[in-house]
Amino acid sequence: MAVLTMNFKSIFSLTLASLVSILTGCNEGNKLSLSERSIIYCSEGSPESFNPQLSTSGTTSDASAKQLYNSLIVYKGKKNTLGPALARSWHVTRDGKKITFYLRKDVNFHQTSYFTPTRLFNADDVLFSFNRVLDKNHAFHHVSGGQYPFFQSVKFTELVEKVEKINDFTVRFILKRNDSSFLANLATDYAIILSEEYGQSLQKKKKPHEIDILPIGTGPFKLKDYRVGSLIRFYRHDEYWQEKAKIEQLVFDISPSKTTRLTKLLAKECDVSSYPIAHKKITERSDLTLESMTSLNVGYFGFNTKKEPFDNKLVRQAISLAINKQALIDTVYQGQAARAKSILPETSWAYDSETPELTYDPVRAKSLLEVAGYAQGFTMDIWAMPVQRAYNPNAVTMAKLIQADLKKIGVEVKIITYEWSTFLRRLSQGEHQSFLLGWTADHPDPDNFFTPMLSCSSSEKGSNRTFWCNKEYDQLLQSALSTTNMTKRKSYYAKAMAIINEEIPLLPIAHSKRFQARGVDVEGKILENFGGISFYDVAKRSINNDVNTLAQPEIADKASN
Amino acid sequence: MLTFTLRRLSLFLFTMLVLTLISFSLSFLFPGDTVINHSGQINATATELAQLNEAYQMDKSIFTQYGAYLTHILNGDLGQSMASQSPISNEVLELLPATIELSLVALLIAMLVGIPLGFIAAINHNKASDNAILSFAMLGYSIPVFWLGLLAILFFSIGLGWLPSAGKISLLFEIEFVTGIQFIDILLSESPYKWQAFSNASSHIILPACVIALAPATIFIRLSRAAMIEVLAASYIRAAKAKGLSFQQIIFRHAIRNALIQIIRHVGLQFANLVTLAMVTEVIFSWPGIGRWLIESISQRDYTAIQSGLLVLSCFIFIVHILTDFIYAALNPLARGNHHGS
Amino acid sequence: MAREKIYLEEVFPSPFMQLWGIFRKTPVAMVGFCCFIFLVILAIFAPIISPYSPVEGHLDMILLPPAWHPDGNVSYLLGTDELGRDMLSRLMYGTSLTFGLSFIVVIFSLVIGVVIGSLSALTRGIKSSFLNHFLDVILSIPSLLLAIIIVAILGPGISNTVWAIAIVFIPQFIHITRYAVKEEFRKDYVLASRLDGASNFRILYYSVFPNIVERLMSQATLAQSAAILDIATLGFLGLGAQIPLPEWGAILANGLEHFYIAPWTVYLPGLAILFAVVATNLVGEGIRHALKLRKEN
Repeated sequence: MAVLTMNFKSIFSLTLASLVSILTGCNEGNKLSLSERSIIYCSEGSPESFNPQLSTSGTTSDASAKQLYNSLIVYKGKKNTLGPALARSWHVTRDGKKITFYLRKDVNFHQTSYFTPTRLFNADDVLFSFNRVLDKNHAFHHVSGGQYPFFQSVKFTELVEKVEKINDFTVRFILKRNDSSFLANLATDYAIILSEEYGQSLQKKKKPHEIDILPIGTGPFKLKDYRVGSLIRFYRHDEYWQEKAKIEQLVFDISPSKTTRLTKLLAKECDVSSYPIAHKKITERSDLTLESMTSLNVGYFGFNTKKEPFDNKLVRQAISLAINKQALIDTVYQGQAARAKSILPETSWAYDSETPELTYDPVRAKSLLEVAGYAQGFTMDIWAMPVQRAYNPNAVTMAKLIQADLKKIGVEVKIITYEWSTFLRRLSQGEHQSFLLGWTADHPDPDNFFTPMLSCSSSEKGSNRTFWCNKEYDQLLQSALSTTNMTKRKSYYAKAMAIINEEIPLLPIAHSKRFQARGVDVEGKILENFGGISFYDVAKRSINNDVNTLAQPEIADKASN
Repeated sequence: MLTFTLRRLSLFLFTMLVLTLISFSLSFLFPGDTVINHSGQINATATELAQLNEAYQMDKSIFTQYGAYLTHILNGDLGQSMASQSPISNEVLELLPATIELSLVALLIAMLVGIPLGFIAAINHNKASDNAILSFAMLGYSIPVFWLGLLAILFFSIGLGWLPSAGKISLLFEIEFVTGIQFIDILLSESPYKWQAFSNASSHIILPACVIALAPATIFIRLSRAAMIEVLAASYIRAAKAKGLSFQQIIFRHAIRNALIQIIRHVGLQFANLVTLAMVTEVIFSWPGIGRWLIESISQRDYTAIQSGLLVLSCFIFIVHILTDFIYAALNPLARGNHHGS
Repeated sequence: MAREKIYLEEVFPSPFMQLWGIFRKTPVAMVGFCCFIFLVILAIFAPIISPYSPVEGHLDMILLPPAWHPDGNVSYLLGTDELGRDMLSRLMYGTSLTFGLSFIVVIFSLVIGVVIGSLSALTRGIKSSFLNHFLDVILSIPSLLLAIIIVAILGPGISNTVWAIAIVFIPQFIHITRYAVKEEFRKDYVLASRLDGASNFRILYYSVFPNIVERLMSQATLAQSAAILDIATLGFLGLGAQIPLPEWGAILANGLEHFYIAPWTVYLPGLAILFAVVATNLVGEGIRHALKLRKEN
């Protein structure tokens, strides 16, 4: 033991130091060893489950996708080209209908206190993961609700005829038609690989729902502990198929309040903070850095087109005309966002610069309201999301500004907000009249904006909370998907945007960057180009050079030893 | 003492009855289906709903319903939270100890600071130091606790960087849940980082406990000042003076003891006050206690959680109240007699 | 008893005037009283004297610091918040919400409490004993906790907060009135009027009330300082005044988000609450002090 080698004097000073630290709370020196090997991430909300297949909420995929799982393929590099992950390589037939994946043979699943794998990753796991989504008779299809919003919104089930196992390390997807966004969809955070063996063992134990609560994946971290509303603790996956992660422990400190997150960051109680506020304060501190990532997203103000008075197109137009978007961007985004002309960001290749934009015109709004029969105005509610997102850093403030704008045309607004998961649940039940929400693209294909946000299929069972359904619009999207000709696709999408502009199921407000703040001692890339975050590359630089002579026990799961 | 105990016991049972009745009737007052408010199962299927109706005897008379509800509570089944869908009894068991711990530390601080200050003020009655202490007490009593908490965080956590601002321990430490009282759990744990965790936990509790303690401390100042003034005017003190005891002897041997008994009577009342302040402070310091949980439940309209949370919290406060009554009665035989209220 | 003043007579000031005489000579109490009057005036005339609307934002003037700051603007004396709303106007309107409402609430509970309290003072027996026990239980629960419980039942909102706090304070006034009335009824002057054949109500109205009014006032100031803190705390927790009402606690909660870049949005409402509570407490202390002195004389 190291302690024995210390002389009396050092023991005395150590005792004194710990006494002082008990009294003053300054214990940086002692904690160093532990904190150096761990990262505390202040996250903005509790995940609904640990399976990104089941949700489109960024909070859920942030906490699960890149940490716990891998996909077959991933986006790599600055240019966002598709690269190998669990699949070593893949092959697409000329008609685009058969896609074969050749899998890696050296991939371990997590070993945890609740599951010990006996075999390596193979084709069965791929089949299990995708058939859970595709096959209504699959044993796990209806576990945890049976809703797969991302896959439903991109019509994955209609597209894939079947998934075949060629041999233990080769699988083939057979599609009904050519789809130019198929591979892109497989590289998203949602198309993750679960363990088939774990599924079997849970079925034997008659606890199938645990597959989404106590996750087993192949990712760089494994779940140790989750307390709703308080923390998620991950340990490093030591048998990861790539190089091990650099940190041994990753803790998500769930802090829904933006101010609390900033306080914790400033007081050094967390190393990294999601969606920080008060950028000015962070940049003026030398021990913190603020980083941003251009993200394909849109923040919008949506209307429930199934509810009065927003089933009337004129009302939707009137409300949209009455909102001063530039003021929202200056105030809510502090000018750090581009004004949205349509749902597609201008950085996307499919964006048509000719797209017209609704201008701020309260006078016309008032007259439109009169035409619609609401000359006296009316009372409505706005549901403002409680968490921060890149596309909307402060929905409540935005709602307040909209409240003031709409008052000018005689519309009274009530602002409603719930805790995030309650908010999403009530939203999906259509209890709202209008709502502030947004969409972040999971991959660079423009279809990822048009289909999940506004198509009929996603209005039934997906992420279209306006419940707007327009056959012509859907037809245009279908045509756009069936071709790989960029110019043709672009013209289809231009027409779709024109329909949105006329019908206004939602009013696009801004395209913004995603921000994140961290202490300067945290190194490595966290924000991914698409979708969420990953702590795989993160390491901590030691600020203090005092090497602690005390023994440094490994942080490890007792059950895994 | 026996009649005293019996009387308190009957009062306790009566109050519990009233509290459960109120809690039971809340399910009817809250919007939504009564049985769902009882159980918190918002996503219940038709068969599950039928089972629940059966379990809570919803088709029988209101008395049977109350009986069924009481049975559920006595079995430790408080329903499940509408928001998180986990059993409320588990959440309460995890959160209540944290609140108790915080409140006890705050009570200790309030008494350690307030009572001596009150005595000093009483001994220097009508002098400058008395006035200074009284002015401080009034200021402390007037500061809104949430504002004080914010200023404390700004000054001590961010400005000086001395004390942490949130939570009860750094999340890096894994402490196994045994009693829920953090300090005991740390001492029981076998973590190699035990002592680091202990000092970390102590540094976390200082700020919120001091913030909570301020207002009760000022009340203890007033109470102990009044008690001491009264005691000093009593005839036995005059007798002691006449005996020629020194001032110090009088104060330390006679006055403090008798004044303290008077104060203990009020500790129960103050504890209720303290728990309320703790509820607000927990919100500011992100302390994982029952107060913060209850306030969140109220704003999320999680009716099952509100109903059960209120029941648990009021029971707890009432139990503390009765306990201090017992302690007071044990210390002061005069109090065991007639106690029919004023 | 009206009397023609035909000859010089030594004037005995009424007990109330005696109290005022002592109160006036305590400088600290008078400062508190002036502040209190100032707040009352502000609460009534806020809509007339405030420079801007409390809810309308000036989007070109976002998060402006107070005027004494180098970046400040004199036309926004106390700066603006994140929507460019003038802090001064918001705080002024907040006076009528936080301070004004607490004042009304206390008056309301005072009236109800005094009526019930005096009626119950005249009753005896089982009813009285039950009331006593009931009051003991209610009074042992802190007002804020009780208010939170009631708001939990009624649902968040400013009107529910006001009702909750009114309900919470009634027992206090019942208790003190009952106690004071019973005490007065034991005194000789009451016996005198009783011998004159006065009814209970007549005695209450003409003899007892003038003698207990100061004690009620002293209790009312205590209640009001608690009411201000309760309204503000509930507002802060988001259970009281809702967006965009300029209630002090709610303003403070709203400013939290900008605490680190615009600290005045948190400092100022906090100071306003502190000021109002201290002023109220000073008045209360003054009354209690004067009562004690009058008794000693």
